[in-house]
Amino acid sequence: MANAIRTRVGAHNLSQPQIDGLRKAFAAIEGFKDNRGFQFLAGLHGLPAWYCWHHQQNRHSSRHMQLFLPWHRAYLYTLERSLRDVVPETMLPWWDWTLRPPRQNGIPKVYSDPAPNPLLKFHMRLNTPQGIIDRDTTRNPGPASGLPTQADVDDCLNRPDWLDFCLALEDVHDNVHGWVSGDMGQVSTAAFDPVFWAHHTMIDRIWWLWQVKYGNGDIPPDLLDVVLAPFNFKVRDVLNVHNLGYDYAAVRRRITITGV
Amino acid sequence: MASSNEDRVLSAPYRSDKDAKVYTSPPIPIEFVGPEHRFKRADLEIEGIDHGGASYEGRIFFNNPGATRETPTDLENGYAGSFYIFGHGGCLGDEGHCEVKPTNQPYDYRTPHPLTPAHKRVTVTDALVEACRKGTDVTVTVVPVVQTTNELVDDEDVFHCESMHFLTYN
Repeated sequence: MANAIRTRVGAHNLSQPQIDGLRKAFAAIEGFKDNRGFQFLAGLHGLPAWYCWHHQQNRHSSRHMQLFLPWHRAYLYTLERSLRDVVPETMLPWWDWTLRPPRQNGIPKVYSDPAPNPLLKFHMRLNTPQGIIDRDTTRNPGPASGLPTQADVDDCLNRPDWLDFCLALEDVHDNVHGWVSGDMGQVSTAAFDPVFWAHHTMIDRIWWLWQVKYGNGDIPPDLLDVVLAPFNFKVRDVLNVHNLGYDYAAVRRRITITGV
Repeated sequence: MASSNEDRVLSAPYRSDKDAKVYTSPPIPIEFVGPEHRFKRADLEIEGIDHGGASYEGRIFFNNPGATRETPTDLENGYAGSFYIFGHGGCLGDEGHCEVKPTNQPYDYRTPHPLTPAHKRVTVTDALVEACRKGTDVTVTVVPVVQTTNELVDDEDVFHCESMHFLTYN
């Protein structure tokens, strides 16, 4: 049904048709040279457009202005809509980096399977005053034991204060970028690696889990009307993921015990 | 005249195992965490961190100015926790592109500069209690362990901040 809320699922839980659809959609937008394309959308984060929000960033006062989470939620939504223009059933999966072998060994297999795999890498073409970038994205991941744990996620979720939560979650986020290293390890090119989107879907999911627990917490009211450029949203527009047409899968396994 | 960089091809960023410059603070009095000042949590807040260059883990050690990237991250060695910096990877603009202009300019409603310095908060409760048990002051050592670098950044001198302070919760 066109108006139904759609569900994002973990990359480790994707069915084969979901994997096929995701790869088909990524392959298509990676081929577009216009503003529907991956080159354009990935370029909004760092090179060449530099719209991304990290840290507190506030020129006008000493008060913290944490837009890291709302801005990236709007960003994920925008790319997901582009994917769905090609394959309507496609949803961004999350990379649960708390999983350890044998369930998952670092980067999810769907993103690390060898080429041809549009989720493995992307060929960037960028001109900068320092030189040309005309190559595939790269990764140099560390050992899986270096990724954040469920205890790190729980620590974030146990912080009811908005700023405290944001600082803790952004630090976990920063660690994963550095862990993947290569292009994911620098702001300028990170969004060109397809796994960026699975990592940020995990961050967005953790924010949603926090919101389920605390609502919007004590997010400062004067942040609510800040525009999340270049997207067609203010902060208040992205607080409820249901208004954006999606939710996150909760895995429930019902085991019936008979004879009691 | 064409820029000398027009034909330069930038290589891919990579992981480094170089030792980066270690920072150690002067001794900081910590009588505020003595037994008569009970607290349930203590944070070290670091203000004004530069994040324009390499990405790195900042390992924090108390009273261990000789700590290196090889030092075990345990309480016995004064390890208090880590923070992570997701760096920009050097300046990829023209001259002045990465210069953060002074704040609070009247009628300047543009979005802030992406390199406005970062703020990090690391919960260090156990290490601070341990330091307090052993003495009346503490030195803070930050050992940067570089995760991602490239040809444009100085990956030996990566950690710069404006200030740091402790924050306790009663």
